[in-house]
Amino acid sequence: MTCHDARERLSAYLDDALAPDERRDVAAHLGGCAECRRELAGLEHTVALLHRIQSVHAPVGFVDRVLEAAEPRPWYRRVGAAMFLPFSVKAPAGATALLMVALLAVHVFQGTPALQQSARRLEPAREQPAAPPPAAVQPSLVREPPVDEPRPERKARETASDAEQERLKDVRRRDSDARPAGAPSPYVPPPAASTMPQAPASAAPTPATPAPPPAGSPPAASAPPVVSAPSVTSAPRTAEPRPAPAPAAPPAPAAPAPAPGAKAEMPAESRQGDSRGQSLDAARSGPSPRLAAKRAAPADVVARIAVRDREAAEAELATLLGRVGGRETGRRQEEQTTVIEAIVPQSRYPEFTQGLGALGTWRLEADRPDLPSDVRVILRLQ
Amino acid sequence: MREAEAGDAPRFLARLRAGESAAFEELVITYQHRVFGVALRMLGNAAEAQDVAQEAFLRAHRGLSEFRGDAKLSTWLYAITSRLCLNRLATGERRMWRQGEDTLLRLAGGETPEEALERGELEVALHRAIAELPEERRIVVVLRDLEGLSYEEIAQVLDLELGTVRSRLHRARADLRDKLERFLP
Repeated sequence: MTCHDARERLSAYLDDALAPDERRDVAAHLGGCAECRRELAGLEHTVALLHRIQSVHAPVGFVDRVLEAAEPRPWYRRVGAAMFLPFSVKAPAGATALLMVALLAVHVFQGTPALQQSARRLEPAREQPAAPPPAAVQPSLVREPPVDEPRPERKARETASDAEQERLKDVRRRDSDARPAGAPSPYVPPPAASTMPQAPASAAPTPATPAPPPAGSPPAASAPPVVSAPSVTSAPRTAEPRPAPAPAAPPAPAAPAPAPGAKAEMPAESRQGDSRGQSLDAARSGPSPRLAAKRAAPADVVARIAVRDREAAEAELATLLGRVGGRETGRRQEEQTTVIEAIVPQSRYPEFTQGLGALGTWRLEADRPDLPSDVRVILRLQ
Repeated sequence: MREAEAGDAPRFLARLRAGESAAFEELVITYQHRVFGVALRMLGNAAEAQDVAQEAFLRAHRGLSEFRGDAKLSTWLYAITSRLCLNRLATGERRMWRQGEDTLLRLAGGETPEEALERGELEVALHRAIAELPEERRIVVVLRDLEGLSYEEIAQVLDLELGTVRSRLHRARADLRDKLERFLP
């Protein structure tokens, strides 16, 4: 190998980028040529100098400029960015916007019963596992003072239910004892009409939603599919539109009791304990008088039935009700669901549930530990 | 490579090809310094380098769907950048950037010659020596000794034969050695 050939390869030799035989030849030549060794050393030092050059960094903001050029932001985002650049502008503007949205939301909600209604209808569709306890969701829904009942009627019910109430307290106490300590059960007795105006604070948990008990409420999840007597906490107003059933079911009359005076009387523990009652209440009580009129009396059982043909199922259900001596008390068509409210005598209730099984797969969404003699059921056919 | 080629995971490529903005952002963040570095070494002017680097990423953005993935992403980006630089150097397009010829000899960031002096005679001499190399040699030495690419990668980036890469690199280093002689032991 000549010096010329060797020098041509010295750079690659340094980088170990020669084929093995070439490398061997160059090494052999270097062994015998001091001039080429000097040449190699010179290149080696040059490369070492180059490696001392610090790596450069792209200027600050380069990434943003590239992204902006690659995918220009829509005009409203650019305008927004320009508008809110200075924090002194951004902070108050943001706060104001937030406030206005909140006020608007409240205003719109209060002004539109349809919205309230739909909010309530959505609720039952939710799966049990996720919903927070009503206390968490309700506060904003209770602004509108519910039913302003005529006083005499309420009085009547109060007196009628004194004894019943004692009994119910016991039931609740038992109920609460059986419940895990930390169970989310922010029960507050349904506020009386007179206490309503201050609702937002005091009546926070007032149920504005119907059907299924809030997910977190343990009893609902674990309770046996048996239903209990006490229509315990049923809101006073709910009985109003249905004079008939209320007296029929013995515990039902108790409902109004907590209303006017009970708030004070109601022992704290019973409040805590009664998340089930409350969640069932949730299923039936509405926050506005207009809606209350449409609502059914308290349900003892709420069940969802998956059927193939809703119309057929409705017909079968009517037959079933006739067979067990029950009757339909209300019906509502929703988009995917027919909601049927009915009353079934307790004695025939097991037979009724068997009949339901024939309709389709059904799932209990809420019930009471004991059933009253007339079991009030809400069935959602889907 | 100065950074790991984490970006070449198949999933990342799929996201890029699908046009996911977050993936493209990741790409720019990962390769911005390398792309800008090559442009700066080649053009010697920070503003022009930034312009070219941005253009390189925009071309990549437009061409991502056609990126076949048979080369590394970094190789592909280097190829785009090198081509842009060489094209620009070959045309009169860059005259507007060159008012004041000595910008070519400056480092990034609008440094004045005085500032450059403070950074050390050696570094200035290095940059000057690189800047004075013929373009086709400069790109090879930049890719090899500053960016750390292998001969094969350089051949891919510049679409050259391996032998050509080897000889250009040798000439470039020999040039540099002659220019930097006073710094050699």
